Amino acid sequence: MIVCIAVVGHQNNPLYIQSFTEADDALKLHHIVHCSLDVVDERVNNPKKSGPMINETFLGLLYPTENYKVYGYLTNTKVKFILVTTDLDVRDADVRNFFRRFHSAYLDAVSNPFHVPGKKITSKTFAERVSNIVKSVSFNTAG
Amino acid sequence: MADPAYSALRKMLLDEITPVVMVLPTPLVEERCQKNGLSFVQMLTPFCVFNNIDVPVRTASDQPYRLQKFKLRMVYASDVRQPNVEVTKERLKQVITDAGNIEDSDLYLEPSSIETISTSSQPDFVPTWFQFFNKEFVRSVSFSDHEAFDHPVACLLVVSSNDKDPINKFVDLFNMNQLPPLLNEGAMDPKIPKVFVLLHDNQDGSSERASKILAEMRNTFGANDCRLLCINSLQDGAPAHEPNPWEFYMPNASPDQNLGRLLNKEDVDELRDFVRDVSSKDIIPNMEQRIRVLNQQVSATRKGFRNQIKNLWWRKGKEDAPENQTVNMYTFSSIESQIRVLGDYAFMLRDYELALSNYRLLSTDYKLDKAWKRYAGVQEMMGLTYFMLNQSKKDAEYCMENAFTTYLRIGTSGKGNATRCGLWWVEMLKATGQYKEAAGVYFRISGEEPLHSAVMLEQASYCYLLAKPIMLRKYGFHLILSGDLYNKCDQIKHAIRAYRNALSVFKGTTWSHIRDHVHFHIGQWYASLGRFDVAMKHMLEIVACSHQSQPMQELFMKNFFQILQKTGKTYKIPRLQLPIVNISSLNIVSEDHRTYGSPAAVSVKESIWQHLEEEMVPSLTNAKTTWLDLQSKLLPNKLKQSNVCVAGEALKVEIAFKNPLQLSIPISSVTLMCEYSPNEPQPDASSSANQTVEDGKTNSDTSFFTLSEVDITLEGGETTLAELSVVPRIEGRLKVTGVSWKLSDSMIGYYNFEPDLIKKRISKGRRKAKQTTNKLEFLVIKSLPRLEGIINNLPTTVYAGNLQRLSLQLKNSSDIPVKNLKMKISHPRFLNIGNPETVNVDFPACLEKQKTSSNKDKDIDTTKKSESVFHFPEDTVIHKENTFVLPLWFRAATPGNVSLYLTVYYEVEDKSTAMRYRTLRTHHILEVLPSLDVSFNISPCPSKLQEYIVRMDVINKGLKSLKLRQLSSVGSEWQISLIESIQDLIPSGNLVPGQALSAFLKLKIANKTETETDVWLGHGGGGAVFDTRRAPLVNFHHYEQLSQKTSRQEHESTVDFMLISEMESETENQPPQIFSHHACHCSVSTKRPIWWLLDGPKIIHYNFTNSLCETKLKMTIHNSSSFPSSITINTFDSPPGTSISSGNKVGWHDMSSTPSEPRVPPPESAKAVVLESVPPFIWTGSSTTHVKLGPNSTTEVWLLVTTFAPGTYDLSNYSLHWSLVGCGDVREKEGWYLEFDNFMKKSGFRRREVDRGCYVKNLRSFYIILELKGDVVGSDT
Repeated sequence: MIVCIAVVGHQNNPLYIQSFTEADDALKLHHIVHCSLDVVDERVNNPKKSGPMINETFLGLLYPTENYKVYGYLTNTKVKFILVTTDLDVRDADVRNFFRRFHSAYLDAVSNPFHVPGKKITSKTFAERVSNIVKSVSFNTAG
Repeated sequence: MADPAYSALRKMLLDEITPVVMVLPTPLVEERCQKNGLSFVQMLTPFCVFNNIDVPVRTASDQPYRLQKFKLRMVYASDVRQPNVEVTKERLKQVITDAGNIEDSDLYLEPSSIETISTSSQPDFVPTWFQFFNKEFVRSVSFSDHEAFDHPVACLLVVSSNDKDPINKFVDLFNMNQLPPLLNEGAMDPKIPKVFVLLHDNQDGSSERASKILAEMRNTFGANDCRLLCINSLQDGAPAHEPNPWEFYMPNASPDQNLGRLLNKEDVDELRDFVRDVSSKDIIPNMEQRIRVLNQQVSATRKGFRNQIKNLWWRKGKEDAPENQTVNMYTFSSIESQIRVLGDYAFMLRDYELALSNYRLLSTDYKLDKAWKRYAGVQEMMGLTYFMLNQSKKDAEYCMENAFTTYLRIGTSGKGNATRCGLWWVEMLKATGQYKEAAGVYFRISGEEPLHSAVMLEQASYCYLLAKPIMLRKYGFHLILSGDLYNKCDQIKHAIRAYRNALSVFKGTTWSHIRDHVHFHIGQWYASLGRFDVAMKHMLEIVACSHQSQPMQELFMKNFFQILQKTGKTYKIPRLQLPIVNISSLNIVSEDHRTYGSPAAVSVKESIWQHLEEEMVPSLTNAKTTWLDLQSKLLPNKLKQSNVCVAGEALKVEIAFKNPLQLSIPISSVTLMCEYSPNEPQPDASSSANQTVEDGKTNSDTSFFTLSEVDITLEGGETTLAELSVVPRIEGRLKVTGVSWKLSDSMIGYYNFEPDLIKKRISKGRRKAKQTTNKLEFLVIKSLPRLEGIINNLPTTVYAGNLQRLSLQLKNSSDIPVKNLKMKISHPRFLNIGNPETVNVDFPACLEKQKTSSNKDKDIDTTKKSESVFHFPEDTVIHKENTFVLPLWFRAATPGNVSLYLTVYYEVEDKSTAMRYRTLRTHHILEVLPSLDVSFNISPCPSKLQEYIVRMDVINKGLKSLKLRQLSSVGSEWQISLIESIQDLIPSGNLVPGQALSAFLKLKIANKTETETDVWLGHGGGGAVFDTRRAPLVNFHHYEQLSQKTSRQEHESTVDFMLISEMESETENQPPQIFSHHACHCSVSTKRPIWWLLDGPKIIHYNFTNSLCETKLKMTIHNSSSFPSSITINTFDSPPGTSISSGNKVGWHDMSSTPSEPRVPPPESAKAVVLESVPPFIWTGSSTTHVKLGPNSTTEVWLLVTTFAPGTYDLSNYSLHWSLVGCGDVREKEGWYLEFDNFMKKSGFRRREVDRGCYVKNLRSFYIILELKGDVVGSDT
């Protein structure tokens, strides 16, 4: 189950952060997302570790915590997408696919002429779309 | 070996992994030592560290080497055991608490920024007590049976010279029962080398007895192992030790204890020499000896190919043995333990090669035996040995990890060891600069114990900070984690430190959730420590937490106010974010010569007022020459630009406050902040004047002005406009500097207005603000009279057409009278000025027609001077006491929302003031509801020329029933009368809402003598008819006429109607409300421009016997068009075409059968009606008549017809042609057509030349606009 999805701007400022849990763990997820930026930075600055593809946007598993797995995705404009999931058995391809869909949703959101670049994404349409994507995706390889 | 990068761990290992000497003193020994405030071990401890012992060591190899640094650990035998878990825990906690208290002082300092931290070297910011803590932690797992380096290498038996029977005491001391469990349980060899020490206290007497005992001892125990130690030579206890060697080891001792006060220099030297002797002559040689022996044994049993095979086989055989035996499997005599001892001894004597080879050997054995704890211990030592050998970093780390995981695997018993192993591992990683990995290890060490975890996590966070590249976010995160754990263990000070350090990461970022959390907790913790001032600093950071959820906001606010209350201080915070001041809403209204009657008037565009006042106020150029000349003495030139306000009159400031939270917050005492300074001195002023001015410069004393205070409560998310005012009291300069408010009793927020900010805003183009806010500085001038005006009884909602009598009340509260009043009204259609002399008149009776028309009072006839200014009577002067009342007539002209602007100009009598005139501007908004809708349709009367049938359509669109009263044609040109009785149409007399009525009236041009212009429509008998030629009806009608003016030419004949109705007023005994509806310019002209009428006697009695009968017929031709026309009349004697009547009807017919119908209007031109070929009558006179007819004129043409016999004749065989001179296309000049054409052309349509009925408009520009709009909208959706 996807716990949290976040968009972080190129100055590491949060643009959009949405948790999908009922519990009041927004702060924790904020911390996780914030922390994972360190790993993103590390991956970006040490490209030799980030895999064979130089233009790869998918950063892969950033770091596993006790209960969560954190995945990252970096767009060409240095905007980061962070995915926090509780599913421990996740195929990379699924995550990649998820990020691709999320990316297109993000693109549509920022293409809105009323969106101010670098400011938080407030579009309701975007939120709705994201939650739809999240609902539709299940990383459970068994199911 | 001396690599500085390795120093930290190396030093630690050299400190910790050193030979242990077990000390067994008698109670008397302790007593003697305690005289110095020290125990025996403590007394010796400072001398157990040798920096230059210079002892030759020869271990397994034949090459001896010299040991320079050496350290012994002196431990009481009772302490040689695994420390109690609970005790250790307590001790560690104490360490942490102590550290927290020590740090107390700098806890309240500003934390250094992250930049300085990362550049400074490690010890500056990593708390030093971490080292101490780690050491304590390592010690907590010492004396384990699976390791040998904590096993005592020697035993020190100490007996005082005062002891009775010292020899026996020595024997008693080394009694098995008191020995530590390590020896008793067989984990180590009980036959350890012993050193027999006799302690002599010089205070007890001479050393003779001591030397005697020593001799005895030498006899009993052998000469080499016995020593004498003399202490307490000093009698009086003078503190002679500088520096005191014990201080370092006993930091907790208070300075007045005076450690070692009875020890003189010789005693200290003796102590030092004693320990040195013991270590170099006894301990080290013994260890060498042991190593050599063990090495031989090990080589004999385990080294070599044969032994290995044997070992493997033997171990395989043992595999079947149950595993629970492993605990006690290895006694000191087992080969494994011996190898371990060999390894540890070699390690302690720095023969790392030997140690490593033995450890390796051992680890395989333990692995095969599945003795995991021992295996882990060996792995740990292997890692350390690799590290000490400074080779194969990878191996070292691998071993450490292996040991660590193995320790963890064996469960709780290995936890402490795992931690120690982890700490060493961390140090190892740190030594090689792998801070990130070190942090990871720290993270892994942090177990369930919250306090330990907190410390470990904090250490981890510092590792992240030191990592390259720096990992600030993880640093922050781990600090937060550790802070939370500290908090859980009530280590508030540590928690604060952790959070404060974390804050440096989150400060300035947009991660507001985290930041708020950190600030909030720091604030709370500080508050719990009683440091409310610091707490407040942090709490202020979270007041504007609009992004938080409502419960969070409530929590924050609750705590905020609690802490605020407890601080007991008053805070003045600039730009407090609660509530948010919307600076762009700042609007300052100052009244200089313009004064406003109501706030609504202020918000009206200045251009409207200017337009209205144009004619009244002295023109701009005039003003400059008049009142600025006057002022040049009063006002310095410099100040000409500044805004002016009048002393005693309020300066109103509007500013919006926005509540960012979802809770409602009350704010009180919202007030302006102002500065007052007296006028700058005149350039020619004397120096004495200068001084007095300087004294009172920039004084914010409230005696110079009065401020208003407002209390408002802002609901969640609400924006409230606060109206504030400042009333300057005396002349000078007033500057509005800002606004301040109280959030609670002790929290004052203020906001300074910056002139730049406002200027910028104006340059962006807000024109309205320009007048009022381009400067916040005002020149206060002397108090001036100020008129206040109200319109009495002005309704807010009214039905269209309602006529009311109002009055304008002007009041002057100042002593100075005002005069020369003028007034202008923006909508004279709505508001008219009555006669000032007739204040008390009876309305609506005053409208009624006076029977005696002689004394018609001359009401102000505004029709004459339309659009101009109303001048008050010359002698009007408004004093303080009297109120001037001016009657006004009000009529709601059109439905809808109407803004009425009224401006009154007045001049001040006092010539010395800076302003000569002022204007009072009032603005009134009213809603006019629709009532009657009246339309008139005039068609020519078919039977009479110049008479018309008027159809009046009335529909009541209002909500109340109306009673029709009277219909008048305005002016004296037209006369109207009812065709049918109005009672037949509406028997009730009331026109209920929605009801429509059509009435037909006759209209004709009035003749000069009598003018019946009014028709009584009311119920019952004729009531008093209102005079429509008198004010105010005529005035209103005038403006109606102006507004209803169409594009048609003036001279066209039109009728104006006025329908007067009344509505019963809601209250009893009130005169009914009067309504007047005006319909102007009802055209009597029709589509056909030329009208004619042939008229003559209907019946002529004539005697045909005499002659033929000649009859004169009158043709009246009327040209109603606006063009001159030329008309041709042709008569035909022998009409061509078909005859209408039958052939046999010759001569006169029966009159009743065919009435003459000559006025059948020919559709296009006159059509000749044909009779029989032989006409019964002939036209006489000229057969063609030409007439020229001017516009709107009538002419008469006489025609003659001659009949030969009596009969009835149809005289229709004539034709009339006309053409309008001066226009080509007659049809196009028709009124409706013209109107339509004009309208279409105005709207931008082009008429097509080919198909003239078609209008075309180039719509390309529309397309562009649509495209633009479509673009924006399209992308949004």
